[in-house]
Amino acid sequence: MTALLKIDGITVHYSRLAAVRNVSVEVGEGEIVCIVGPNGAGKSTTLLTISGILSPTEGTVTFGSKNITGANPENVARMGISQVPEGRHVFTVLNVEENLRIGTLMRRDRSEIEKDFKMVLDMFPVLAERRRQPAGKLSGGEQQMLVIGRALLTRPKLMTIDEPSLGLAPKIVDRVYEVLTDLRNRMGLTLLIVEQSSERALKAADRIYVLRSGQIQLSGNAKDLRDGEKVKQAYFGFSDAAKHVGEVAF
Amino acid sequence: MGYIIQVIVDALSLGSLYALAALGIGLLFGVLRLINFAHGDFITLGAYALIVPAYGPDAIRFIADFHPVALIICTILVVVAIALLSELLVFRPLRYASAATLMVGSFALSFVIQNLIIMIYSGRPKSLNLWSDLTAIKFDVGGVDIALLPLLIIGVTMVLMVLLVLFLKHTPWGVQMRAAAEDFKMARMLGVRANFVISLAFVLSGALAAVVSLLFEAQLGILMFRMGTPLMVFAFIATVIGGMGSLVGSVVGGMSVGIVSSILQAGLPSEIRGYRDVFVFGLVILVLLLRPQGIVLSRATRERV
Ligand SMILES: Nc1ncnc2c1ncn2[C@@H]1O[C@H](COP(=O)(O)OP(=O)(O)OP(=O)(O)O)[C@@H](O)[C@H]1O
Ligand SMILES: [Mg+2]
Repeated sequence: MTALLKIDGITVHYSRLAAVRNVSVEVGEGEIVCIVGPNGAGKSTTLLTISGILSPTEGTVTFGSKNITGANPENVARMGISQVPEGRHVFTVLNVEENLRIGTLMRRDRSEIEKDFKMVLDMFPVLAERRRQPAGKLSGGEQQMLVIGRALLTRPKLMTIDEPSLGLAPKIVDRVYEVLTDLRNRMGLTLLIVEQSSERALKAADRIYVLRSGQIQLSGNAKDLRDGEKVKQAYFGFSDAAKHVGEVAF
Repeated sequence: MGYIIQVIVDALSLGSLYALAALGIGLLFGVLRLINFAHGDFITLGAYALIVPAYGPDAIRFIADFHPVALIICTILVVVAIALLSELLVFRPLRYASAATLMVGSFALSFVIQNLIIMIYSGRPKSLNLWSDLTAIKFDVGGVDIALLPLLIIGVTMVLMVLLVLFLKHTPWGVQMRAAAEDFKMARMLGVRANFVISLAFVLSGALAAVVSLLFEAQLGILMFRMGTPLMVFAFIATVIGGMGSLVGSVVGGMSVGIVSSILQAGLPSEIRGYRDVFVFGLVILVLLLRPQGIVLSRATRERV
């Protein structure tokens, strides 16, 4: 499998503090890869570095055959990487339809756009019902659907999503993952997903990376790690596993 | 009765000029979180563009003698070019700096522009009549003569506000600008080009400044190297009391300041009329004490690029 995205040894600083150190992640074409890890592990930092919101002090990010290290966010997006960042970044001043239309601004293929538009509205019927409503009036789950739909409308080659399950009811999370898996299977969309719950990641992903304290602790095929034991150890570290194990639903 | 109409027309036309200037400031603040203190100097430059750049004591008419349509277009082009140049040379290098640094940058730009005008045109005021028909044509309303110019100022402002709203609400570029104003990073991650949106804001702001230049010069009949500064100061106050980041707030604020000034001008006893601005600023302080966020709340977040 050829790597579509290759993160090679990146270190990212917030002023003096290194949030991520020497992290390498590869995502093959058509793969679903999950990065899991506890709070403050550096997961969001890693995704924002791919998008060009942050620049690494060391290491490179390669997309296809292009080096995109330190590229502008808009250029990264135009190359085919669409990011759904942490927190729901709907434009509250725009209505639902305008939010979705922003997703199509880079495209010129009119007829295809309309088809994709229909696809997204079919996928999330709530959005169709609320087309003309201000996006800020949607519920949290509906906003999450909106930002995923909007990212899909860019017709990305790679979609990165930061914690799609945050604050959503388990039933809606199931639905979101169902949609994402379906998109991969039907359209060959490549996905890099950040998840807090390693259980969910092991279910959805082909491969997973465990990130803790800014470093990759473990990586491998989801199949091989399915029993969860190794992941749990890497996730919490050996010393404080006992302290925290009760707090997170495994 | 006629006198009251006179006061109302004056109040609305002054408020309109402030509102137009405030919109120019508000647009840039919305997208870039920049309080552009050089906006007044953009207005000044639009007026100076009407004459030949020469140091002598008299104004040698240049664009001022063009056909009105050509005159308006040329003035807008000049001011827009200056606004874009300012973006490129001053504000683009400062894009990731703090809002305070940006503001200081705009002070510096204002200073540079004023001194350039003094160098090129000299610091002496020059008399320049523009469209003198507009002040000469008068309508008799209830026994008082109302000139065409203030009515034109009010009309032009209303038309421009409608056009701006249509642009922002119903064109793809306008929607991109509103999205970027709310969440610039997210907009960029969806492919909205930062340079494009910011340049667009400078173009609109410059075009609005140019219109203010012409209307103000037609009213004033004189060129001064700091003629735009009072407009900038009142427009800034207007955006503050209207609510920073809200364009509706800019208009409401501009109109309020203009109306209050005019009413004070008409109503204050003549001995203290000279201190009119003291009362205006006093009222501003009062508004800010009662409503620190401004009259109109902005939904946009405060985060920048
Ligand atoms: N804007 C910032 N400025 C300074 N430090 C930051 C900033 N954002 C994150 N950090 C720090 O960088 C580290 C990694 O943060 P990051 O947001 O990448 O973690 P995360 O894995 O996404 O965590 P979570 O699961 O809580 O979202 C943390 O220690 C955090 O405190
Ligand atoms: Mg995070």
